[in-house]
Amino acid sequence: MDPVTAMYVAQGIHGLAYGMILFLVASGLTLIFGMMGILNLAHASFFMLSAYISYTVLQVTGNFWLALLIAPVVSAVIGILMERFLLRRVHASGHIGELILTVGVALVILESVKVFWGTENLPLPVPEFLQGLVSVAGLEYPIYRLFIIALALVLLAILTVILYKTRLGMVVRAAVSDADMVNALGVNVPLVFMAVFGIGTWMAGIAGVAIAPILTVFPGLADQMGMDAFMVVVTGGFGSLGGAFLVSTIFGLLSSYGVQFVSALAPVLMFIFMAIVLVIKPMGLFGERE
Amino acid sequence: MKKTVQWIILAVAAGILMFFPALFGIYFTNVFLTFVIFALFATTLNLLLGFTGLLSFGHAMFFGVGGYGTAIALERIEGLPLILAVLIGVMAAVALALILCPIMVRVSGTAFAMLHLAFGQLIYVLALKLRDITGGEDGIGGFDIPPFSIPGVVSVDMTDPSNFYYFGMIVLVGSLAILWFFTKTPFGSIMVGIRDNANRVDYMGFKVPQSKAVIYLFAGGFAGVAGSIYALFQNLISASDAFHILVSFVPVMMTMVGGIGSFFGPVVGAGIFGILEELTSRYTEQVELVMGLILILVIMYAPMGFLGIVQILKEKWFGKMSQQAGAEEAS
Repeated sequence: MDPVTAMYVAQGIHGLAYGMILFLVASGLTLIFGMMGILNLAHASFFMLSAYISYTVLQVTGNFWLALLIAPVVSAVIGILMERFLLRRVHASGHIGELILTVGVALVILESVKVFWGTENLPLPVPEFLQGLVSVAGLEYPIYRLFIIALALVLLAILTVILYKTRLGMVVRAAVSDADMVNALGVNVPLVFMAVFGIGTWMAGIAGVAIAPILTVFPGLADQMGMDAFMVVVTGGFGSLGGAFLVSTIFGLLSSYGVQFVSALAPVLMFIFMAIVLVIKPMGLFGERE
Repeated sequence: MKKTVQWIILAVAAGILMFFPALFGIYFTNVFLTFVIFALFATTLNLLLGFTGLLSFGHAMFFGVGGYGTAIALERIEGLPLILAVLIGVMAAVALALILCPIMVRVSGTAFAMLHLAFGQLIYVLALKLRDITGGEDGIGGFDIPPFSIPGVVSVDMTDPSNFYYFGMIVLVGSLAILWFFTKTPFGSIMVGIRDNANRVDYMGFKVPQSKAVIYLFAGGFAGVAGSIYALFQNLISASDAFHILVSFVPVMMTMVGGIGSFFGPVVGAGIFGILEELTSRYTEQVELVMGLILILVIMYAPMGFLGIVQILKEKWFGKMSQQAGAEEAS
């Protein structure tokens, strides 16, 4: 295959890999912010925290799978504690209260990370069995990025099945649309919400472990990702997993092809896309409510 | 009796403001001026948030555009008078508000907040990328601050910190006064009406989108004033000072900490933030850690902000007295 096509494909893979990581963060956020209506600006902080924890786990054990298992769970536990003891109490004061609280939590996490791990970029090696390239039909793909794409697709599939095909998913969707009614029917809604919050944070944690070998681990990780994830949720429509997936993919491809074709405009392409969508449809692409 | 006390307090406050540089020295004068700049910035946000019920996550763009407008004008145009430089900054902010308001008056709630987030980030990125105009990451600094002069009458050197203090205070306190009167006009009541029930305001024959647009222009323009004075005061404006997302969060948090329900809440909040920053930066490197903890505590235990606590305490301690006084007056 000629080199130009190969370059396009390589850029596409890079874009897709970023898009999938973005989707992992944004899908957690779409559960928390889109469905439950909790404005959680600390979401990306858990993503960053998980990257740091995976760094330490790798240092101690040297096992990537163990890092992928432990780091997101630890982040999710911290996230659940925050939901249970902090967020739930300010839910009554609406989005502004949640904004203040989660900005506070984000600052505390950021500063604690700096105290424990320092401010340098910590490099993380790509695990050995995922290094290198695989060649298919005359083209070479980096295995690790394909692994990320596969990981995201598997999680999307599991999440979709749970949410739309199981009883648990039914309860969650019902609780989102009318919490009081479901509560009255004997379901422990706060517990359900806590579980959903935990799953959302866990997804962000997975993304944090996955991105660490690509970007290295540093305190600024949360900034960029948090912003992009919020834009994905808002553009895709609140509570729409499909919307989040579609928009994450578009954002990933926009950023990688944008750098190639219109490098001066590349950083603003996503904002322009979001602004156009919101002006035409204030509820986002697949949103049914504000 | 009460009127007299009020006038005395006002006179004392004015006196302190008048002789602040002489009383407290240059360092605290600068700290104080920074506080007043952010007090005005937070008050303009409160115009949207507290009065009209519109939460913005991108208010920094007006602050920053005001600052950049003034800085670029002073850098490019030689012999530009000080007042004109400030006005150019303010006009730039108003122009931005004019461009955005056809979109923004149509939306409210989360879409309003998120659209501001998007446009704020867009402008942040533009400020970083358009190096020829904005100086990229370094921003614009070291421009000449022209003297404040009325030709043939007076010329005051503005590079002197205490002179600049008076100039800044007149502009900022003047702006605060204008905003205060603005909220007391019948139009100010329309703002509150839009917050509480936009449909009813519409039925009463007031034009909601147009009213929102006017409020939006006021909020944007006066945020531009704060930004313009900030740029002059620092003699520097950079993308991270002006447009970073945290700059947009600061006035929201000041408003919340001070108390969302009143005009002076953001001013009190800006003061509390200033004092805390001043104190914590002396004892610890982790200023932001302390700020984060304070935010969590405030929202957990005092969601109505500082003025909310004062209100509650007032009712607890003086509630009976004022009731009795009220009863006596009635009889």
